[in-house]
Amino acid sequence: MKTFVSDESLNAFIDGEYDVAESEALIARMRDDVELAQRVGTLRSLQSMVRLAYTEPPEARSWKSGVAPRKQFVQRCAVGCLILLAGLSGGWVLHSLESQRVAAAPTVMPASPVGANGGFEMVSLTRTADPSKVMLHIDSAAPGKMKTVLDQAERYLDQAEQQGRLIQLEVIANSHGLSLLREGVSPYSERIANMKKRHASLQFVACGQSVARFKGEGQHVVLVPAAQTAPTAISEIITRLQQGWTYVRV
Amino acid sequence: MTMITRFLTGPLRPGIEALRPVLYRIAYAWCHDPVLADDLVQETMTKAWVRRAQLRDQAALKAWMLSIMNHCWLDYLRSRREFDDVDDWEDRLESRSDSPEACCNRQEVIACVRAAVAKLPIGQRQVLTLVDLEEFSYAEVAGILDIPVGTVMSRLSRARESLKNMLDTAAKKHADQPVLRRVK
Repeated sequence: MKTFVSDESLNAFIDGEYDVAESEALIARMRDDVELAQRVGTLRSLQSMVRLAYTEPPEARSWKSGVAPRKQFVQRCAVGCLILLAGLSGGWVLHSLESQRVAAAPTVMPASPVGANGGFEMVSLTRTADPSKVMLHIDSAAPGKMKTVLDQAERYLDQAEQQGRLIQLEVIANSHGLSLLREGVSPYSERIANMKKRHASLQFVACGQSVARFKGEGQHVVLVPAAQTAPTAISEIITRLQQGWTYVRV
Repeated sequence: MTMITRFLTGPLRPGIEALRPVLYRIAYAWCHDPVLADDLVQETMTKAWVRRAQLRDQAALKAWMLSIMNHCWLDYLRSRREFDDVDDWEDRLESRSDSPEACCNRQEVIACVRAAVAKLPIGQRQVLTLVDLEEFSYAEVAGILDIPVGTVMSRLSRARESLKNMLDTAAKKHADQPVLRRVK
């Protein structure tokens, strides 16, 4: 009398779970049992069909031409932040080296233009600061700082002019420092216009994000004609640092 | 020295990268969504790289990574919160995909089988694809999915039985339908 072979046993057979003796016994039985042979054939056929169905799965990243998933976006943001952090850290580390170098060697850029404790912090991503590319950053509306940043800019420009050198200089204003470049708010709008007339290589750059924030607070923001707008002050500073500019925070 | 070399050169990295197509095929067979499958693979590879120190046997890399992918997949399913009891979902949760349509040529067979596999409960689908696509032994599948070997066997048996019935029904449907052909 033939014993019934369960589906689980047949599956184990076609999946190679049987040892040699068990396999041979089942094969011998299949010769005499057509129905059993058909069941095994059906299972093998199913297995082949499943393999065929997933031999070439559809291309991944069907969203390539569209919008990346949120996870990917977050990862990219994280990488971007890390690069930004590394850039800033590098700048601050080099700052100390640069200050020492500037203090030790005679230079066209005084290390402490308004005295030893003038509050200036000079940073450059390059080991040798390029005296012909300088940015002055102001983020305070204190009248003293506004005057200082303009004085400092004029000093650099005049010094370069006297020495017959070309200099590129940017005054970058953000946060409350934006007041320096706001028409009707800045006490120095006339001086800024005059400086701009005298020095073609002088740029005044306002932070677009700060402008948007003030506007969001309901303030009417009009910049002086000499001012340009960058998307953000930070992006402008980072870009300039990467280009070898020297950063001075007033 | 071996540890230092392993740390410096990261010999696992090429191995992990090389398994991407295998992982993707299995992930796609589980979820039938290319984007989700790719995300699962990415997450699996990231976790595998972070936890690479836990792998003792290099030869078991594929099974180990599939085990990680299984956990990623379960986490994804749990995050959907479509079921309350996680103990028996693997035996009852079925895909919402349509029933397999009639199939006759190669592309239709592929679409038909994929539709049928997608209809299987997830637990059965996982066992079936691991055994059929990667030819893992029952013991390896049990290790990957963290279930007893007996469960592997019963799920596989039910999966193939269901698959056979679905494909038989599809074939019968195809035979019963009059075929319209466009003649130019």
